[in-house]
Amino acid sequence: MIRTPLRPLARILSARARGENPDAIERENIRLRGEMNRDKARSRAEGRLLVMALLFLGAFVTVGTRMGSLAASEPYEPQLASSGTEILAQRADIVDREGRVLATNLVTHALYAQPQMMVDPVGAAERLVEIFPDLDRDRLVKDFTGGRKFLWIKKKISPEQMQAVHDIGDPGLLFGPREMRLYPNGAIASHILGGASFGREGVDSAEILGVAGVEKAFDGWLRDPGNEGAPLSLSLDLTVQAAMEEVLAGGMRLMDAKGATAILMEVGSGEIVAMASLPDFDPNDRPAPLTKGDASDSPLFNRAVQGVYELGSTFKIFAVAQALELGLVNPDTMIATKSPMIYGRHRIRDFHNYGKELSVTDIIVKSSNIGTARIAMMIGGERQRGFLDGLGFLTPTGVEMVEAPTGRPILPQKWSEISSMTIAYGHGLSASPLHLAAAYATIANGGRKVTPTLLHGAAPTPGAQVMRPEVARTSLDMMRAVVTRGTASFAEIKGYEVAGKTGTADKAKPTGGYYKDKVIATFASVFPASDPKYVLVLTLDEPVEVIAGEARRTAGWTAVPVAAEVIRRTAPLLGLRPVAEPADPEALTLVRN
Amino acid sequence: MSYLESNLKTVPTGFRKVLYLNWPLVILLTAVACTGFLMLYSVAGGRIETWAEPQMKRFGFGMAAMFIVAFVPIWFWRNISALAYIVSLLLLIAVELFGSIGMGAQRWIELGPLRLQPSELMKIALVMLLAAYYDWLDVSKVSRPLWVAIPVALILLPTALVLKQPDLGTAILLLAGGGLVMFCAGVSLWYFGTVMAAGVGLVFAVLESRGTSWQLIKDYQFRRIDTFLDPSSDPLGAGYNITQAQIALGSGGWSGRGFMQGTQSRLNFLPEKHTDFIFTTLAEEFGFLGAIALLLIYAGIIAFCIHSALSNKDRFAALLTLGIAGTFFFFFAVNMAMVTGLMPVVGVPLPLVSYGGTAMMILLMAFGLVQSAHIHRPR
Repeated sequence: MIRTPLRPLARILSARARGENPDAIERENIRLRGEMNRDKARSRAEGRLLVMALLFLGAFVTVGTRMGSLAASEPYEPQLASSGTEILAQRADIVDREGRVLATNLVTHALYAQPQMMVDPVGAAERLVEIFPDLDRDRLVKDFTGGRKFLWIKKKISPEQMQAVHDIGDPGLLFGPREMRLYPNGAIASHILGGASFGREGVDSAEILGVAGVEKAFDGWLRDPGNEGAPLSLSLDLTVQAAMEEVLAGGMRLMDAKGATAILMEVGSGEIVAMASLPDFDPNDRPAPLTKGDASDSPLFNRAVQGVYELGSTFKIFAVAQALELGLVNPDTMIATKSPMIYGRHRIRDFHNYGKELSVTDIIVKSSNIGTARIAMMIGGERQRGFLDGLGFLTPTGVEMVEAPTGRPILPQKWSEISSMTIAYGHGLSASPLHLAAAYATIANGGRKVTPTLLHGAAPTPGAQVMRPEVARTSLDMMRAVVTRGTASFAEIKGYEVAGKTGTADKAKPTGGYYKDKVIATFASVFPASDPKYVLVLTLDEPVEVIAGEARRTAGWTAVPVAAEVIRRTAPLLGLRPVAEPADPEALTLVRN
Repeated sequence: MSYLESNLKTVPTGFRKVLYLNWPLVILLTAVACTGFLMLYSVAGGRIETWAEPQMKRFGFGMAAMFIVAFVPIWFWRNISALAYIVSLLLLIAVELFGSIGMGAQRWIELGPLRLQPSELMKIALVMLLAAYYDWLDVSKVSRPLWVAIPVALILLPTALVLKQPDLGTAILLLAGGGLVMFCAGVSLWYFGTVMAAGVGLVFAVLESRGTSWQLIKDYQFRRIDTFLDPSSDPLGAGYNITQAQIALGSGGWSGRGFMQGTQSRLNFLPEKHTDFIFTTLAEEFGFLGAIALLLIYAGIIAFCIHSALSNKDRFAALLTLGIAGTFFFFFAVNMAMVTGLMPVVGVPLPLVSYGGTAMMILLMAFGLVQSAHIHRPR
């Protein structure tokens, strides 16, 4: 930049020549330079000021707009996002195959006290006892007035109780929100669901742990947050389960039995549609386990899965099926049934004397122990054992319940010739009713092994072929004959083509030997026989029906009528329609009108 | 150009100065203060003696101080600006060494019955010194690095001390006020660009430093940033203030619930309701219109200051007026942005409305300087 000199030599010289004061020129130049500088600074400052004013304006508009949008907004009260939320609603629901809730969570409150904050400990204790009569007044007073800083009073209280405690108005009585497990259907499916209780407990929440049944078996899954609240879908059908439990309870009372169990299973998939064990309990209020006596007398005992029984003549069909499979017999082969049969020091008897011989079909229809024992002799212990293993009788069922492994079959210590003969008609080997249901389902499934499951919708893995489909078919026809003309005639329900086999086993004494008048009566059935869809196994513990002064205990008089009623009630719920059976042409009569 | 070169005979003297006061500015300041009295009366639940009365007394004293400052010739203030800065700086150091601790920060110094907050004093002293510096400095030199480094050091020194107290809000105001004076003085835009880039870099560094051994800001400041970004993440903790404030603004609607009808603030939902968050009470009781009205009054104060600065040929007076106006602007802009959730909570009161002695006195004295510059402008 070229600056104008403050004292330009030429102008000063000329001013001097004119006799003027040269300093005036300098002053004038200083003034001009000052003005120039000032103008420059001003113009720059004004530019800056403009920018600043725009920034200010922008800020004003921003704040104003923000206030406007806030003023226009609905005031939104943030929901209390307390630390408890992560724990709440963590356990997934359990639903049946139609999505109906079997187990869910309910928010409730626990009542606890911080005695140091209490205004009137004695008064509060007295009023608490009025609300909760089961509390002990003296103990509460001692707890409240002692040096304790914290104590639980009640783990679960109802809203009414909570309000009542609230009305006491003592600041030392506090409520902790928590979830509890709720079984809205009460005792229905109680053994399957099992139950839940609190695990680790805090003031704001409590962990829910499964203690039995599927609740415990799937405890990890139900608590896994990765499932995003997806419910556990069981194979049960709530309506069928309820109907079956109702009929079973009625039948148990009618037959004066001390226990009963029933399993209804889909043939193809092995899915258990209904499974009941009586007596039962309410999983919302699980009874304490028995501390003495037989655990199997507790209502908590699941007879269908945990109970192992000698299931009697229901086993006969397996011996016959195996003999057919091995080609040892055909349905019309005649087998000697002269009673009694003496083998070593053992005598085998039949319920009635069936004469010299019976066809294989009739051995099943009339349920001949002797005939079955002879067939077992033909098969031999080794092969029998293998066949029963193929049907799943030698290992626990593996159904998805924690109790399943305890339902371990009791096998003879030595699979001798005589045990092979008794096992053939259902003594000497104890298995659970669920084992039996799975084995019958295998026959109904064309000889392909069925594994029982409680989960809905899992694609069944095709099981091993235990027997040829023709053998399975023939066995089914024999069982159909049991209903049409044999021991299970009460099970003939028009249109549903029930096939099945009865079994009446003497109950074993704990001390050894058998009771004379205590039996386990079982009816294992398949329906409809022409296209098997369902298997129903029903067992009554110590049933007795007195007709005309005569006590009848055989399954045909006890288990069969109850099972028939179950089928009558549940088949429509299962969507089965009565079908017209192919009529026997010989039974046709010409009707003249 | 300086007063030495202008014609002093045109400057009013004696009580004639009263006629040359910037009266619209006085009226606007009083209007803002009166709004503050109303709000303090309301948040105290209809009691005047809790907050409103002491505030009125302070305002009276402050106005008197303003007039006294206004009548002292502006060149006197320019001549003592360096002294004011040094005294403020010493007080800041003193507060660091002997100050009393209030609300988790060391901000106060006890001088007999007077509780002084030197950081408030420093806001004005810094602006004065920078204005004097640029008045003294030749215009052609303002953008030379050495002559830029001096004012930067003058700004950063007290800022660092205030940050150490710690008082992030005041530190921001010091930086912004000082930067504004430099901007108005015509420092090259390159410097501002560089500083802004560095600032963005610093923000990244601060966010990156979280949880490391060289963490640059305190955990509570990080939490404030977190709650700023998502106030609902912690509605009962650090986000409480801001959430409740926004509820208050929302429930005020367009015309508000009416005087003394605000629930959010009067039912003790809001902590700091009489200080930093008093604006929410106004917004709740007088609604959007009331809030905008207060905003317009503030805008008017700024506008009159800018107008006064533009019509002032004296460089010190113009820069001082702009610097004070800018500081004042940052004051309420930061507060309103904070309350409306546009920026994190940094703890800046609403000027002349929030309850607080030092801030109001210092602000009114600062406006005394503006008035002095206005009265004694070269004509």
